[in-house]
Amino acid sequence: MNQNQTVTMPLNDPFGKATTGKLGMWLFIIIDGLSFSGLLIAGAALRVAANAWPVAGEILNIPLTAFNTFLLICTSFTMVMALNAIQKGNQAGLKKYLTYTMIGGGIFLGIQVYEYYHLISDGFFLNTSIYSGVFYVTTCFHGMHVLSGVIYISFILYAASQGRYSENNWNHVEILGLFWHFVDLVWILVFTVIYLI
Amino acid sequence: MNDYKSVYIKNAIWLTILTVLEVGIAFIDIFRTGQIVLLMTFAITKMMMVALIYMHVQHETKTLKWILFIPIPAGLLFTFALMYDIPFRWVV
Repeated sequence: MNQNQTVTMPLNDPFGKATTGKLGMWLFIIIDGLSFSGLLIAGAALRVAANAWPVAGEILNIPLTAFNTFLLICTSFTMVMALNAIQKGNQAGLKKYLTYTMIGGGIFLGIQVYEYYHLISDGFFLNTSIYSGVFYVTTCFHGMHVLSGVIYISFILYAASQGRYSENNWNHVEILGLFWHFVDLVWILVFTVIYLI
Repeated sequence: MNDYKSVYIKNAIWLTILTVLEVGIAFIDIFRTGQIVLLMTFAITKMMMVALIYMHVQHETKTLKWILFIPIPAGLLFTFALMYDIPFRWVV
């Protein structure tokens, strides 16, 4: 079947116009969300069971991570603008906003590595305490998602530079956007639970 | 195709404002339980804003919305099960 061919969906379709790719990404997001829930809930359980728990602000650099949170919010905005651009057939806008998102994700990872470097220099290792274990495992798991997202964006950006997307063909960009926004959404919770509470 | 650019910009601004407020709340010296409730409320609000506006969940069908809702009670169930278990099994 031609990719640009219009497919008429039944009116009572429970998923409306959502493609199988998009449904697949939603399914992945649900499963991945449960993985993050498992980590955060385990961290909370360990915290409740612990006799003492360090104050995050005394060990972690909260202002720097708050800036990182702001950065991730900005990349969510640029990602949704990339989709908005291609939905209007603006290929230059798509490439511009995807590039901004990729750079933002890269800076986020750079700041996270900088934070890890300073924490490790101060003797705060993965096995220092239960608290450090919870911190590194949760933030590193999220960091891996950001890294995957940056690699994923680079593939879509390459396809965009080949002119593969248009106002009638933007499904891949939408699916990429769902993943990236999920990474942002999870960070909001990780930041609150690990850094602020 | 509708242009939602202004909605996306407003959403980003509100997310930033809520993040600044969150950091402020974390640093002020108030009743601990109240602080946790406030911080979690802010976090859930921000997550809803990302899901509804940036992920366009508000435009999805009812079936998909229900499917996306399923992990929330599952997560709460895991939490309560684990918390209930703590006094009986773990000493850290």
